[in-house]
Amino acid sequence: MRILIVGGGTGGTIVANNLARRLSAEIRNRKVRLTMLSASDRHMYQPGLLYVAFGQMTPDQLYRDQRGLLEPNIDFHVDPVEKFQLDKNQVTTKSGKTYEYDILVIATGSRIVPETVPGLAEGAETFYTEATAVKMFKRLREFEGGRIAVVVGVPHKCPIAPVELIFSMHDYFKARGIRDKVSIKYHYPIGRMHTIENVAKWAKPEFDRMGIEIETLFNVKEVDAEHKVVRSEEGTETQYDLLIAIPPHKGMEVIEDNNLGMGGWIPTDRFKLTMKDRDNVYVLGDTTNLPVSKTGSAAHFEAEVVSENIASIIKIGTPVRDYDGKVYCFIEAGHDRATYAMFNYQNPPDLKPATKPMHWFKTAYNQMYWTSVRGLL
Amino acid sequence: MTTQTEVRLDAIPTEDLQRLVEFAQLVTAARDAMSDEIVHRLAGAFSEGMTLLDRLTRNEGLMRLLQVLDRQESQNFLIALSDAIHRSSQEISAAPPAVGGIGCTLRVMRDPGILEGLRLMSLIGKHLSHSLREQHHHGG
Amino acid sequence: MSENKIIDARDTYCPGPLMELITYMKQASVGDTLELLSTDEGSAADVPEWVNKVGHEMLGSEKVDGVWHLKIRKAK
Repeated sequence: MRILIVGGGTGGTIVANNLARRLSAEIRNRKVRLTMLSASDRHMYQPGLLYVAFGQMTPDQLYRDQRGLLEPNIDFHVDPVEKFQLDKNQVTTKSGKTYEYDILVIATGSRIVPETVPGLAEGAETFYTEATAVKMFKRLREFEGGRIAVVVGVPHKCPIAPVELIFSMHDYFKARGIRDKVSIKYHYPIGRMHTIENVAKWAKPEFDRMGIEIETLFNVKEVDAEHKVVRSEEGTETQYDLLIAIPPHKGMEVIEDNNLGMGGWIPTDRFKLTMKDRDNVYVLGDTTNLPVSKTGSAAHFEAEVVSENIASIIKIGTPVRDYDGKVYCFIEAGHDRATYAMFNYQNPPDLKPATKPMHWFKTAYNQMYWTSVRGLL
Repeated sequence: MTTQTEVRLDAIPTEDLQRLVEFAQLVTAARDAMSDEIVHRLAGAFSEGMTLLDRLTRNEGLMRLLQVLDRQESQNFLIALSDAIHRSSQEISAAPPAVGGIGCTLRVMRDPGILEGLRLMSLIGKHLSHSLREQHHHGG
Repeated sequence: MSENKIIDARDTYCPGPLMELITYMKQASVGDTLELLSTDEGSAADVPEWVNKVGHEMLGSEKVDGVWHLKIRKAK
């Protein structure tokens, strides 16, 4: 039984390690072979990028060696997949090798595509990659006052990021003593200031308290980097001195190139997490087309379900449980306080007031993340 | 749902109240002292600790070794070995180096302690050899 | 030939039915029809508000067995 995992991010790593532990006997007896293919030899803790953008973490602290995070009985190769031949149960990689599988897990994640909005890449700062996060910190550091505009593309990973960004910016300029010289305008694409109703209810008074201007129903159409203007589909425009964008996202190019899903989002069963019409292919994390938050936490809970089911299929012939839509996200609310949003398909998120201990929990989790991807937490 | 019992303030002895206040002050002080750095380091130590612990507990050899070490004979043996090496090193440092040859050999053989040692080493060798053969036969 | 796409956003809160609609709108071609399924009562108002402000066309909305079916045509 050959299990192939494509993608070495949060979801892929947790599935691989969980399976390696559950099936350690079968792997030792060569009944099962567990292989992982990734495009990188490093594993990045993506939530750390916001810290990098505000000078609270250095880029090296974002990464760990991927091989070191994996159980020794996993066959790991840094060799990205280029062709998926699902009818033949095989994939072909950049190095030209072909890997056959009995069960495939696709966890390739998502990427930013600022180039799909004219002028966005040239005119806006962002913190969704290492390079752009470092550049954004330098721009923030040089900024002595003026108008900052924040715009949000759809879809994007980490739905809470726009709100956390504002809290971080407010605290940052306050600490520098120039908050009164900076005006911040927040733009959001739908008719309220955040897609989660309870977050919008909680955040609006906080934004008012911090003196943040809000424009809702602002869908970014184009950026005129030369004149420093960002325009919306709705016909409005905002002048800025510094533009920060959360760019729109797509699934990885290889997914679109192989026609696995429009926009790189693979059609997936929301409970079984199998690919549509293919029971031996599991999909998890950002690359599914599920209406579930594109977050590490969703990938984590999905990975737990997928690994349990693959192991049970091998041991007793059937899967054992469904994904219930569970997501658990920290929300940093500035001033060393945080809260969290927890929800699933049945229960909406219900926010508690932000507290210091919750902020410490998030700080602790930045470290505990590495233990959790090893399958120990 | 909460379980709350009502207590009248004037029914609580003063010393208890004082202790409660001190405790609350302690908690506040701890909260004030707690910093991001402390949390970061504690969590880091905990995470690394868990990873190490996991590796150690899954090392079959280490776990079996710990079981063996738990036995009285194993402990006695290790203590005896350590004592022996210590005393031998003291004796050796006092004795002149061997000059070699039959005469020297005969002189060394005259020491009953040396002969006991040779006997012990031979016995150990005999049992070790037997055990190794057994392990080979059983596919060790 | 314009396509008919069904977006099943029932029982989801984040990013939520309207954000899912916006995502699929981007992938669609002008003239395509999208049908959004939502169990969020707010969708009945949020979706038409967005559709009209951005400049697409609301074709209809009805509630069937507790599920809102909202039909939209991509106009630009």
